[in-house]
Amino acid sequence: MTLLRNFATSTSVRATFRPLPEYQLKCGLELHTQLKTKYKLFSLTPTSVINSKPNSKVSYFDSGLPGTQPKLNPEALLLALKTAVALNCDIARISSFDRKHYFYPDQPLGYQITQFYKPIATGGELILKEPLDDIGLADNSVKSKRIRIQQIQIEQDTGRSIYRKDGSISVDLNRSNTPLIELVTLPDFENIYQVRSFIKKYQQLVRYLGICTGDLETGAIRVDVNVSINNGERVEIKNLRNTTDIVQAIEYEYFRQVGLIKNGTPIQSQETRGWDGVQTNARRSKENAVDYRYFPDSELPHIQLSSNISEEIKNELPKLPSEIAMELLEPPFKLELKHIRYLIDNKVLLDYYMELHSILTHDHKLEGKFAGNWLFNNLLSSFKKARLEITSNLNLVPVKQLSELVVGVVSGRVSKGNGKSILQSAIEGKQPIDKSISSLSTSSQATASSIVLSHSQEEELCSHIINTNPETVEKIKSGKVGSIKYLIGMAMKQSSGKASSKNLEQIFKNLLNIK
Amino acid sequence: MLSRRVRTFKRHLNTNDAYNAFISKPSSVSPGVDGRILSHLTYTLKDNFMNSDSTTCASKLLSNFKSPYSATAASLIDENGGQFRGKNNMDEFGMGSSNTNSYYGAATNPKYEDGDRIAGGSSGGSAAAVSAGVVNFSLGTDTGGSVRLPASYCGVIGFKPSYGRISRWGVVAYAQSLDTVGILARDMDTVEKVYGVLNRHDEKDPTSLPAGIRDMLQSVEEAVDPGAGEGLTIGIPQEFLVKELSPQNRECWLNAVERLQDMGHTIKRISIPSIKSSLSAYYTIATAEAASNLSRYDGLRYGFSQEAPEDVDLDTVSALIAKNRSLGFGPEVQKRILLGNYTLSSDSGNHYLKATQVRKQLVHEFNGIFKSPNFLTNSLDAQEDGCDVLISPTSVGDTPTIEEFLRNDADNFLNSYANDLLTIPASLAGLPAISIPWGNQSIQIMSQFGNEHILFRASRYLLN
Repeated sequence: MTLLRNFATSTSVRATFRPLPEYQLKCGLELHTQLKTKYKLFSLTPTSVINSKPNSKVSYFDSGLPGTQPKLNPEALLLALKTAVALNCDIARISSFDRKHYFYPDQPLGYQITQFYKPIATGGELILKEPLDDIGLADNSVKSKRIRIQQIQIEQDTGRSIYRKDGSISVDLNRSNTPLIELVTLPDFENIYQVRSFIKKYQQLVRYLGICTGDLETGAIRVDVNVSINNGERVEIKNLRNTTDIVQAIEYEYFRQVGLIKNGTPIQSQETRGWDGVQTNARRSKENAVDYRYFPDSELPHIQLSSNISEEIKNELPKLPSEIAMELLEPPFKLELKHIRYLIDNKVLLDYYMELHSILTHDHKLEGKFAGNWLFNNLLSSFKKARLEITSNLNLVPVKQLSELVVGVVSGRVSKGNGKSILQSAIEGKQPIDKSISSLSTSSQATASSIVLSHSQEEELCSHIINTNPETVEKIKSGKVGSIKYLIGMAMKQSSGKASSKNLEQIFKNLLNIK
Repeated sequence: MLSRRVRTFKRHLNTNDAYNAFISKPSSVSPGVDGRILSHLTYTLKDNFMNSDSTTCASKLLSNFKSPYSATAASLIDENGGQFRGKNNMDEFGMGSSNTNSYYGAATNPKYEDGDRIAGGSSGGSAAAVSAGVVNFSLGTDTGGSVRLPASYCGVIGFKPSYGRISRWGVVAYAQSLDTVGILARDMDTVEKVYGVLNRHDEKDPTSLPAGIRDMLQSVEEAVDPGAGEGLTIGIPQEFLVKELSPQNRECWLNAVERLQDMGHTIKRISIPSIKSSLSAYYTIATAEAASNLSRYDGLRYGFSQEAPEDVDLDTVSALIAKNRSLGFGPEVQKRILLGNYTLSSDSGNHYLKATQVRKQLVHEFNGIFKSPNFLTNSLDAQEDGCDVLISPTSVGDTPTIEEFLRNDADNFLNSYANDLLTIPASLAGLPAISIPWGNQSIQIMSQFGNEHILFRASRYLLN
């Protein structure tokens, strides 16, 4: 209990841990990422989901029955290629699979099929950029940090061993033969901020591209860390379940090694250590390392790819999260960082935001800030109040209708308070927004005169717009009837939204003799 | 030690199986389907093919194993009317050339009444069953000669197709880059009928030749085929004139060559230098692949598992796995796993890679002497003066008695490995090859990759 409290109180200190200048930290990561495929890597068994009954997603091949052979799932290959392209890796024209041998109950073949000699991709990078990513450097002039990627390989996941209290081990093979990619970085990390930013950014990327669920907690992404000081021997740390584990283990290991160096004790080469929540513990040294006896799996054909595969995949990829984030930081969006991160993690909402922004700024010539304000201040909180998950219930608030509402409130036709309650009742399924707006405008006709232009006022406005925009008028007369929208927009703007766009259109058409 | 092993040979004899050719027989015999291409033909499977009966690979480790699925080859035979009669004895996991490495004791040779002679291996039970006339044909596996050699000793035909012709799905892997399904029968009609049924693509086997490649192979073969009745060019590889070759086998070879010459075929002396390094390359590759393939047998999910006795510490999982494997595998299998693991270990250097290079060179040299181009290795020019087939003896010596064989093996186990000398080159190069009885001995014929039809025709010339 005391231990726990000490541990808990010290976390705030840990979060600001910076390496000492005379003991330079060097860190590399090894990430295992479960690919979100329908089937397993080398069999036609559906991939297991959480809560599947143990050993219910297992084929003859997955359980290592004699006489069975592997067959590569092309979907896994595609997801691996997407990751490689998104990280700017060089894709191998020819890659192949190898067997890595070791005995373990959750390893039914006695070997893991992986890519040792010819991995699918090498090289590549993930660039951490301030202010999107925290690179934790004292020098404020440095705005980005490049983390180089050594390679990406495709491989099988193992089954899962469950250790029982009575000393027995239960083995669940549902996870066996699930496709993984292993990504290895070079030891480019100089501090914990960079490690944390990298993991976050990587999670964001694989989620956004539909490559992986991206969760550390469920084991969909598993991270091993290697740590060395002043280019000394590197120590690998395994069994890190979440970001807190990773951060704390690196810090612990850093000070452990600093202690050893100060004492003049040599650091064991190629040591593997585990993390128990408090400290790193020796697991394996170089002397008792397993000889994996790698050799090519001759049953699996080589993967041969065309020379323009990177281009082809690139064309299929959407704009990447980091590019979107940079855009959203700048005008005309100028969103806050936390909001940008939120949108990138919720692609449906990102699309919703972009559409709302486009309608408000282009069709109604309003300022872009209204899109962000309404989404983050009103829409999210209304869903929260209604206790509804937002992404799957967005159909309750079609973006066109929300934009009408925004226009109504901005123009003053609808009061702010009314606007919020209209939104709330739409989300709670009481009345759709469009009905609320129309009923509001009929019931408040008496007062509407003060805020809505009369017909003659509208006519006067339109004449004025026509006179001051001769070029547009010329275009319309020469046949580009669509440009009438521009005139309407101008008129709406000048009337501060007090005119009816429908009326304006009719008036413009009459004045310009268009049918 | 030796006599104890000999005495245990026939302990598995249950029914009237005088040659210990069977490991199991079906409890009831199905009449088979009428009107199919294999109707009224009875068959057995080497006990490394999965079907609804038990599949032991003649190993204690799989002595209790029953597969939930069937091998594609076995299913195809059943669908085409074949009548299943049982699973045959073999060398454990296909490792051996005598069928003495079996948990169920040695199979013996029906051809000899003067005492227990080896049936050959590893498909010894299959060869014995066909030779004794128990069934019309049997499916075996040939990794380095395991169908051809026992066929040769037992006086039947043993055919191994090009690598990838017949599906290996449901066939227990020994060395996956060399393993082929082979056919044993007493006449060419049966061999060709069965081959016709099995020669097709199977999408479950990643090494099965795709339909498109099969079509290409056929057109390449047709393009170089001199035609039925026309003289063939037949090559005599001089590297097969090894010191281990017995005078009788040398005589038999010469005799066959003379006969073919009399028929009007052109005989050509040819050289394939890499044959000399084939044996070591083969054992390097086969044992490395075997060590890997047999890693799955840990006794945890299926197969033999040691009940924890008082005096054995089975605290750790690895101790249990080690115990199961030490008790479950026979001595020859353990020896080959050790050899293979040594080859694969990081301390041993790059033996596997070197052996692979020998293999490539061998294919290259074969391509240099055949008339037909090798479609798979992209040498697409036919060589007008090249050979249609090559011939040699199948085995180097006479069929030894079990005692003789074991004595030789005990002297030096490499003596046993030398039995595969003549059959290994075709295995390494993936070529089709057949052993046919010739006098009291046998002759092996080989052809270019994919040229099974020319191989069959040459076989018929000798048999008629």
